[in-house]
Amino acid sequence: MYKSRIYGKNVTDNFLTEVKLMNKLYLSLFAAGLAAFASDVHAIDSTGCGLGSMAWRGQSGIAPQVLAVTTNASFGTQTFGITFGTSGCDPNGRVTGGTGRMMLAFLENNMEQYAMDAAAGYGETIDTLAGILNMDSAKLGEMSKQNFAVLFPNENIDAVTLTLNVMEMVKQA
Amino acid sequence: MMRFICFLCICFWANIANGAPVDNEWLALGHYRPQIFGGYKSTIDTDNFFLSPKGKISPQDELQATIDLFSNNQNEDKKCLFPARYKYLQQKGYALKSFPKCEKLEEFYADLQPAGVTLLFTDAYMNNPSSLFGHTLLRIDTKRKGTQLLAHGANYGAFTNGKENSALFAILGLTGGYYGGFTVKPYYDVINTYNNLENRDIWELNLDFSPKELDFFVAHLWEIGHVQSRYYFFSRNCSYMLMEMLDAVRPSLKLADDFPVQAIPLDTLKAVYSRQGLVKEIYYRPSRQAKIKYRYNQMSETERAAYIEAIKNQKYEMSNLSEEERSNVLETAYQYVQYQYVAKDLELKDYRKRSFDLLKARSNQNEQGKIKELRSGASPLDTHEAMRATIGTGMKNGQSFQEISYRPAYHSLTDNNYGFLRGAEINFLNTIVRHYDNSNKTVLQELDMVGIKSISPMDEMFKPISYAIDAKIERMMMPDDEDEGYVFKLKVGGGVSYALSDKIWTYAMINNYAVYGGSLARNQYMAVGGMLGVFADFGNWRLLAETEKIWATQKSGSTIRYKIESAYSLSKNTALAAEYLYQQNYGHDVDEFVLSGRFYF
Repeated sequence: MYKSRIYGKNVTDNFLTEVKLMNKLYLSLFAAGLAAFASDVHAIDSTGCGLGSMAWRGQSGIAPQVLAVTTNASFGTQTFGITFGTSGCDPNGRVTGGTGRMMLAFLENNMEQYAMDAAAGYGETIDTLAGILNMDSAKLGEMSKQNFAVLFPNENIDAVTLTLNVMEMVKQA
Repeated sequence: MMRFICFLCICFWANIANGAPVDNEWLALGHYRPQIFGGYKSTIDTDNFFLSPKGKISPQDELQATIDLFSNNQNEDKKCLFPARYKYLQQKGYALKSFPKCEKLEEFYADLQPAGVTLLFTDAYMNNPSSLFGHTLLRIDTKRKGTQLLAHGANYGAFTNGKENSALFAILGLTGGYYGGFTVKPYYDVINTYNNLENRDIWELNLDFSPKELDFFVAHLWEIGHVQSRYYFFSRNCSYMLMEMLDAVRPSLKLADDFPVQAIPLDTLKAVYSRQGLVKEIYYRPSRQAKIKYRYNQMSETERAAYIEAIKNQKYEMSNLSEEERSNVLETAYQYVQYQYVAKDLELKDYRKRSFDLLKARSNQNEQGKIKELRSGASPLDTHEAMRATIGTGMKNGQSFQEISYRPAYHSLTDNNYGFLRGAEINFLNTIVRHYDNSNKTVLQELDMVGIKSISPMDEMFKPISYAIDAKIERMMMPDDEDEGYVFKLKVGGGVSYALSDKIWTYAMINNYAVYGGSLARNQYMAVGGMLGVFADFGNWRLLAETEKIWATQKSGSTIRYKIESAYSLSKNTALAAEYLYQQNYGHDVDEFVLSGRFYF
């Protein structure tokens, strides 16, 4: 809910501007959300979707798993499925928006896999990102590997920073 | 009776209404199903799916109301909810006003960028009772550049509030206490959930839809995305609803007809596969755990040693390995760390540090690893059928008997395990009837309401627990008078398993029993059992041997049991089985042998 406000129509599709704007919005929303909805912090904390994004979407321990409610069920309370999906980090549950927004959403949800593929220089997430960026996959793989230390400067990197790093890298190519 | 008459009236009225003709396509599109006493009823339960007040039970009224809607210039918002119906009417040649501009619908198309439809099957997940039978969902393939990670999964599921305890959940799930509906999410999310969080394999069956059918499917998905139906765990479940969805696109498939009572995900998968020209290609997407195991199995001894050092002691130097070998080891270790974090074996801080260190080391290797990725598995399409009947003959303490049994679902360890999750057993409503020749007596020998067993070996990497849950009514011999009586027996057990080899697993379990029955002294007893077992699986030949010492609060329950069960498959759906049971009980022993044929259908 809170995130969907970020995706207002007035956000320009120039992807760099978009992501930078979102970065700011994340921070301000984070602060506002922290104050107002302490329990919902994870929904707007972008780092909650980065390395370790599984944290709040995963189950806790074997006992709750055995007793867990169905994975066939969706946990949302929404009545309209398709317009308001219940995906982890994407507010509308769909792949949507311009390059920047799509990249951020993708990296938020696939950071672990992309980190691996970037370190190796190839892989499914590289192919996907290359598609989003409309560039050659082998080239992106090579660049990602060469710039691994720049893309992932430390273990506490969040998805927004990573997205900016990837864009910066691609721009210089 | 009133209702019956009512139905007749409606049918009668419908026939003389001289309206537009209702055909199979319309029935499928409205999810109308024939009723036992004639007439139709839609599976959809929310009012917003129907334009006519009688729409749920009258396809004719609904068709007329739909024609009316699209024949005038009002209610544009309503029209936007039914793009597939519009396409249907258009095809049938009705004179319609043009379809309005629907912003949200256009966004839906723009996000999906549909290129095809794929049926997804995720295999069993033994840590969740409602996922024991696996799960199916649909994928709307995308024509976006890149990969299908940017496609969308369309999942039909029950909307629960996630707070119910498991008993209430089960009751509501079985009795239609929940509503079900469709949700979409990116395919990468689906992969994360099934492959990475729950370690389940995904099978992808690409369907051969024409561009027109694809367009119709997406339009109908939009229609159905706004409505809900009562969710019944066994009959109107995730998998059943997909059958109606596919029927709506190609009514000649008649998939829903195959599942009047129960819709087991695996069976729906087979039904789809059985329809000529429907499945184009099949892909396999292994779980993270399967990938790690496959990688580990390909490693050399030195690689394995370095790998264990890396995951146990966080030593990433590996000076004795080549660059290529280091890549192999580091990539596998990284995947293992991801697994550990999801399994809650790692704190976030450690997880991040280990992940980062491993990848930093990997990014410094210029040679690619040579380990092959797992690309194929035992296809669930080649599994034996879920229903089983047996016919057998045997001997109990010198008394010969004949025996038949029927099990509606699903799989026992001694059934052919090909394509099933190895070590997982789910028996549902297994019923055994026995006839003793001498006494000419026919008895219900056993009604196994639900029996679940998960044998899952531990190794250096993975530490799953093994468990067994069983609720059944059985004939039990009372040691005092050697009379038999019915008891209800509940068993809950847990333990560990260890693999001697790929094919031979051992396990040890502690079982807890609660037993009730009229012939028992004080009508009940509790017991604890210590069990040792061996499970051998050589493909066509399987063997299960268990020995258990049981301490009970009553003499009649205290016993030592030895049980051996073995089966040999003659074909995919036939097998010969032999079972031997010896039970020691204060000198009143049970000695039983059964030879049987098993038929799966």
